[in-house]
Amino acid sequence: MQQSILMLFLGLLAISTIVFTYVYQSSQKATDLDRGMANPLKSRFWFLLILFVILGIFASVTIPKSPYYFYADETPSRVVHVAAKQFAFVLSNNAIDPKNPVGENAIELLENELVEFRVTSFDVNHGFAIYNKAGQLIAQTQAMPGYVNKLRWKFSEPGAYSILCLEYCGMAHQIMRSSFTVK
Amino acid sequence: METLKLRKITSVWIIIVLTLFVVAIVLGILMRLNQGEIIQQSPITFYGNMTTHGLTMIGIWFVAGMAAVNYLLERYVKTSYAANLFALVLTVIGVLMLWCSTFIGEFHAGWTFLYPLPFKIMWAEWATPLFLSSLGVLGLGWLVWSISLMAQILKKYSISQAFAWQHFHKNPKVETPPFILITMITLIGVIACLIAAVILLILFFIEYFSTGSFVNDALLMKNLTYFFGHTIANEMLYLGLAVIYELFAEVSGRPKWHTTWYVALAWNLSLIFILTAFFHHLYMDFVQPEGLQIIGQIASYLASLPAAGVTVFSILVAVYRNKINWSLTNLLFFIGVAGWVIGGLGAVIDATISNNFILHNTLWVPAHFHTYNAMGNVLFSLAFFHWFSNQYYHHKERQNTLKLSILLIGGAGFLLAFYIGGAESIPRRYSTYPSDLPMGATLASIAALFASLYLIAILIFFFNISKKCLKILSSSPQSS
Repeated sequence: MQQSILMLFLGLLAISTIVFTYVYQSSQKATDLDRGMANPLKSRFWFLLILFVILGIFASVTIPKSPYYFYADETPSRVVHVAAKQFAFVLSNNAIDPKNPVGENAIELLENELVEFRVTSFDVNHGFAIYNKAGQLIAQTQAMPGYVNKLRWKFSEPGAYSILCLEYCGMAHQIMRSSFTVK
Repeated sequence: METLKLRKITSVWIIIVLTLFVVAIVLGILMRLNQGEIIQQSPITFYGNMTTHGLTMIGIWFVAGMAAVNYLLERYVKTSYAANLFALVLTVIGVLMLWCSTFIGEFHAGWTFLYPLPFKIMWAEWATPLFLSSLGVLGLGWLVWSISLMAQILKKYSISQAFAWQHFHKNPKVETPPFILITMITLIGVIACLIAAVILLILFFIEYFSTGSFVNDALLMKNLTYFFGHTIANEMLYLGLAVIYELFAEVSGRPKWHTTWYVALAWNLSLIFILTAFFHHLYMDFVQPEGLQIIGQIASYLASLPAAGVTVFSILVAVYRNKINWSLTNLLFFIGVAGWVIGGLGAVIDATISNNFILHNTLWVPAHFHTYNAMGNVLFSLAFFHWFSNQYYHHKERQNTLKLSILLIGGAGFLLAFYIGGAESIPRRYSTYPSDLPMGATLASIAALFASLYLIAILIFFFNISKKCLKILSSSPQSS
């Protein structure tokens, strides 16, 4: 998915660069007799309309794919409680006591089961980002003190998954991580 | 008309901005070198530099835009020298306080200083109140300056004229110059986000002095932080656009741009979109009401319509098959608009919630905002600096192609490393990368190399422009 996004961006980058270069070169070749664009108001209208339609299509296709709606009408078969605290994650099958945040040594999930991660923080804002074994970010939410963010996900591939903190949380932010296994 | 005092204070702003820019770029290169494992900094030093880099960059390009707008506004209304000077003094004091808190006090909560991180002391205890106070000092100076400029506009133009509403009717009796309209719209956004910053700081200080009896709401604080942070970062770009509307046609030898109904409509709508787009910073906070998340995506999309359909299109129309007196000034404007467009494309991609789910807080984020800053807004300001200093001490422009080529190659390579890093899921704000993300260090080393090229180009601009600005500073009324 990320690679497709990069390709889309590079394509748009190429188009923009070509347009700006072409327009610049047209001015270099222009003489005093040239009068610029024939009907700029009409062109502007069409340009805006096309842009509006493209963005409208993008919005209507992508908004329903927002993570807030993932498996919204299903009941999770598994709940994993997550508490972030400088600079570690606590993962547990049960609710975590802020006064004594203790979790499981190892969390094992099943392939294709619907898991709900209930993510919070006991100090500052953290990120809860799940990376697959190829080092690709596949899902995330924030860990915010005083709130619980619920992330629903089904893991289609078994293996070891890493959790990285993706919200800057202080001097050991870069080593704040955890893991779990999908069987 | 502009006075010698205004000319001199604008020169001081330019020299300060360029000096701080060079320092902030060096800090950025050091960060990328550390991430590339070419040098070794402690995480505290890295994150301290990151905090200084971010806030310094935001601050200098905001004041650069304000100084340019203040200078050009004198063509239409009398501006307050006292407010300009007040902002200058408070900016210098604020930056010194900020640097003291980060370099000496080792404060390193990042430029977003997300609540409640500043209270989790991992630095000198005095650094937190000093850091927050430095923002208060900067905010006060900028707020007074912004209000003063707006007040001067409203002395000459009524509110409806300042917003160019009369252009919605046929044959308006009074024309609002585009520069006045954009400046007005931008100043409202600036004042709104600075007021949010004031509220944010007050809430921080109440909790700080309450010693535990008052605790803020993290979600509210995050909304306030990004309303301030996102909006000011956007508005500094719009200050640059105001300058383009005023100068591009003039330096290109083209007829001056006029306000039409669609220009007026586009800029009025921009204000609404700019003030609501910040919600896209909170997409990954699933507890934020869903309606606000959707508003974030739609407002971010809609903000691109007036920008692309009016401003960018107008630049393209102005240049397409028209004879242009190309100079370094309008070349920088033109390339800057291209950089703004390309950064905007990266931003729209990231402002799509389903994309943000896998891009948020990866290197894609610094990729897009560095694009429209380093290759957009910076170029707008450099264009103004060059034009301004050339008015009084004109030197033959030499080796423009070489200067621009170094700037473009350096900038493009530096930014591409960020975009590829984002697509490779490399996290942002990591002092070093984990061994299971080896691409991070490689890309950082490449980025540092290209950023050094960018720095060389900036140093050339710095010496050329500062030299002329120093001459302006030492000039007497007779020589002006």
